[in-house]
Amino acid sequence: MRTLIFATAIRLLTPLFLLFSVYILFRGHHHPGGGFIGGLICSLAFVFHALAHGSEHTESTYFRLSVCQYKANGKPSQLYYVWSWMQLAIRKNHRNGNHKRFHVIRLRPIYLMAFGLLLAAGSGMVGLILGKPFMTAWWLPLELPVLGSLGTPLLFDTGVFMLVLGMVLKMVFTMKKE
Amino acid sequence: MLFAILIGVLFAFIAPLVYRLLGRYVAILMALLPLALFSYFISLYPRVVQGEVIIANYTWVEALAINLQFRLDGLSLIFVLLITLFGFLIMIYASAYLQGDPLLGRFYLYLTLFMTAMLGIVTADNIFCLFLFWELTSVSSYLLIGFNNTNKQARVSAWQALLVTGGGGLALFAGLILLSIASGAHTFTGLLAQKNILADHASFLPAFVLIMVGCFTKSAQFPFHFWLPNAMAAPTPVSAYLHSATMVKAGIYLLARLAPILSGPDVWFYTLAGVGSITAILGAVVAVQHTDIKAILAYTTIGALGLLVMMLGINSTLAIKGMLVFLVAHALYKGTLFLVAGAIDHCMGTRNISQLRCLGEHMIPLGIAATLAALSMAGILPFLGFIAKEMLYEATFTTPWLLGIATLSGLVFVAIALLLSYRLFWKKSSKPTPPRHALSIGLYLPPLVLGIAGLTAGLMVSSVPSKLINGAMQQIVASHSNTYKLALWHGFTPVFWLSIGTVILGVSLYRFLPFIRIRSVGMQHMYKYGPDALYHRAFERLLHGAKTFIAKLQNGYLRSYIIYIILFFCGLLLIVMWRDPSDISFSQPAASLNETQLYEFVLVALVIAALIYLLGTRSRLTSIVVMGLVGYSAALLYVLFGAPDVAATQLLIETLTVVIFVLLLHKLPAFTYLSHQFQKYKFIAIAIFFGAVMTYVMLLVQARAVDSDLKKFYGAASYEQAHGRNIVNVILVDFRGLDTLGEISVLAVAAIGIYALLRLNSEKGGKP
Repeated sequence: MRTLIFATAIRLLTPLFLLFSVYILFRGHHHPGGGFIGGLICSLAFVFHALAHGSEHTESTYFRLSVCQYKANGKPSQLYYVWSWMQLAIRKNHRNGNHKRFHVIRLRPIYLMAFGLLLAAGSGMVGLILGKPFMTAWWLPLELPVLGSLGTPLLFDTGVFMLVLGMVLKMVFTMKKE
Repeated sequence: MLFAILIGVLFAFIAPLVYRLLGRYVAILMALLPLALFSYFISLYPRVVQGEVIIANYTWVEALAINLQFRLDGLSLIFVLLITLFGFLIMIYASAYLQGDPLLGRFYLYLTLFMTAMLGIVTADNIFCLFLFWELTSVSSYLLIGFNNTNKQARVSAWQALLVTGGGGLALFAGLILLSIASGAHTFTGLLAQKNILADHASFLPAFVLIMVGCFTKSAQFPFHFWLPNAMAAPTPVSAYLHSATMVKAGIYLLARLAPILSGPDVWFYTLAGVGSITAILGAVVAVQHTDIKAILAYTTIGALGLLVMMLGINSTLAIKGMLVFLVAHALYKGTLFLVAGAIDHCMGTRNISQLRCLGEHMIPLGIAATLAALSMAGILPFLGFIAKEMLYEATFTTPWLLGIATLSGLVFVAIALLLSYRLFWKKSSKPTPPRHALSIGLYLPPLVLGIAGLTAGLMVSSVPSKLINGAMQQIVASHSNTYKLALWHGFTPVFWLSIGTVILGVSLYRFLPFIRIRSVGMQHMYKYGPDALYHRAFERLLHGAKTFIAKLQNGYLRSYIIYIILFFCGLLLIVMWRDPSDISFSQPAASLNETQLYEFVLVALVIAALIYLLGTRSRLTSIVVMGLVGYSAALLYVLFGAPDVAATQLLIETLTVVIFVLLLHKLPAFTYLSHQFQKYKFIAIAIFFGAVMTYVMLLVQARAVDSDLKKFYGAASYEQAHGRNIVNVILVDFRGLDTLGEISVLAVAAIGIYALLRLNSEKGGKP
């Protein structure tokens, strides 16, 4: 499926997709939309990207924060020692020519799922902390122009969003790798 | 008191940590806990013996009456003191017995947890609280029996003990709940107040039977006795603590606690006296056939438990009093003998009597401890065992068959006592067995202390023990007439002569023991039909049956799973419709057909055409695209009927499905018809059947539209209370947020499952 037009179009469209999915997430409270649909749209963006460019590329573009380190006169830089000392999940990836690349943060889909679940359950805890039953909604008193009012149900919806996203990505990436 | 009972949980879980820090000195800390508890409960002794009841409450789940309610009265106090005293000695003994074991910390965890559970049982007032601790003892007993987890025998025995006592615990729980439903009370105090209602209630007998099952499994009564000898696979400190002194007495405790409530009718006497006497005979008869010290002790313990249950069944003041004295005496001497057996095993490397000779030469303190315990067991004059035996004879004197059983047990006890003291330690032999290593102080001090305790309790019987037992009597027997005073000497009564006769006959039985053992070989094939063999056969059958059933049901074909689900679902629907038949008129749905718009017809026609085409196609790609077409049409239908949320979800899911299919397409094998033509028709028939049932159900639902206020409520409350105008979403994230939380948790678990499946397949080298 690697056609030039599709690949270029997807590259340009993916950020749009992502923005739209977030918009759908926030819109859900008053109009059709919500966390589940938003999460599906967001994951579709990445799935299409993976379809056009390969999942490896998608992962390295959107889910990794990489740091390049150039060899100056043949010795690793000071920063490298600092990182290796801090044990920040440094993985050697590329070793071509005169620079090395390290992944500082790697956002695996399963982390997204875990974080989504944590967010959803945590939003329920707010009510518990305030001395009310579990999952009692709590709203901020202010109203934002585009996003609307903010409250724990929105947090919950964000949790659903991330979980759906993580789940679809996990499945698709695993299938792609085989 | 709440703190004193529950502190053990904390100690239990820090034990492994402390072991890591302090090594084997963890024993000091863990032994201090029971010692402190023992002193605490001793300090309550003056108050309790005066009839005061000490109560501790903690409200837990108020609405279901599940609370931590504890009460310490005279009956509890005896048990509490036994548990903590034994706990202290066993903790010390275990450090010597398991010296150098890397899992010592874990052992202390289990042991302390068990001790706490036991304290909870004997002080619990709330029935739920009792059940909680009851099952906790089963679980910790499982962990302790299986402590040598590399030994298969230990694991199997642990399983058996857990299944038998845990299952009995469930029966007990059901019985207690029946009682509490019948009376409306959730505590033993409350049940006691309602006992007149209970005695005539319809659920009295079922509750009685269930409670009996619970108590009998725990206290190893026939026919549930078989787990106890097998539980001897546990390390000896565990056998001494759990399987002679405390846990097996939990059933006795509960029977004594419930005696005032349940003991009215005759069924109490016949059940308890019957089962108790069978168990007593069985214990006595089997005990003389064994040569393994622990097996002998296990069977005499079963016999003694049988006697205790039998005396509870008689339920006269004298019998109950004798039961309590015998219980204490038995705990003291049997615990000692178990500890002695463990020390012998540790030093000699064997527990087989025929290989042990003249041990007194090397281990005098242990010999003294064993002799003290054996004298108490045989019922020789200044020991507590003597008083217990006198009272046992006295209580059964009027009923000849019970007296016969008591005498038989007495005979066997005398013979076993001689075997375990005189024969093992003092009988002269030309070849004394050499010990593998010298006896350490931790191995002989605890049994010696217990043995001396048995002697002192006998000598001072009219002071402290007498008060303790009278305190317990007040809880069991309502009108407590203090006719029989506890004393060592009652004069030359007929019972005394019987006691002397038992000792003399017991000595001659001891002479015949080797002969009995030889003759008993012929009885071995009887065990093939015993409860133990039955249990194992039933267990294997169950496993086998489960395996066959699973192999049939879960054959690995997705299509069979779908067929099972659909047929089961349709079956349920049909049963409901058959039980509650209702005729619907098709005139109204038919009339509404006329109002159908043209584009709706077009959509339906499109779907039907796509489905027919799908059946004939032989290309996978085509079928995926056509399936997508069906899905998109359905989404369009949702849009037309005004459900944009559902439509959007459907649309996205369809897209995802198609994309995922495309991803996997080139990895799938070529499209072939593997199944027989007949299979295809079968599937078509099932599909049509399912469709027909669902259509019928939909029509039924339409015909009986439920007028509900829900719609109105959500419409109104959605914006006012939940700040949202999209009702569907507000329901999802706010009103029914807990449901959604559950659903997304399931989603996450499913994703992990799918991932595991895919990875597993690729690791095995199979197709993804």
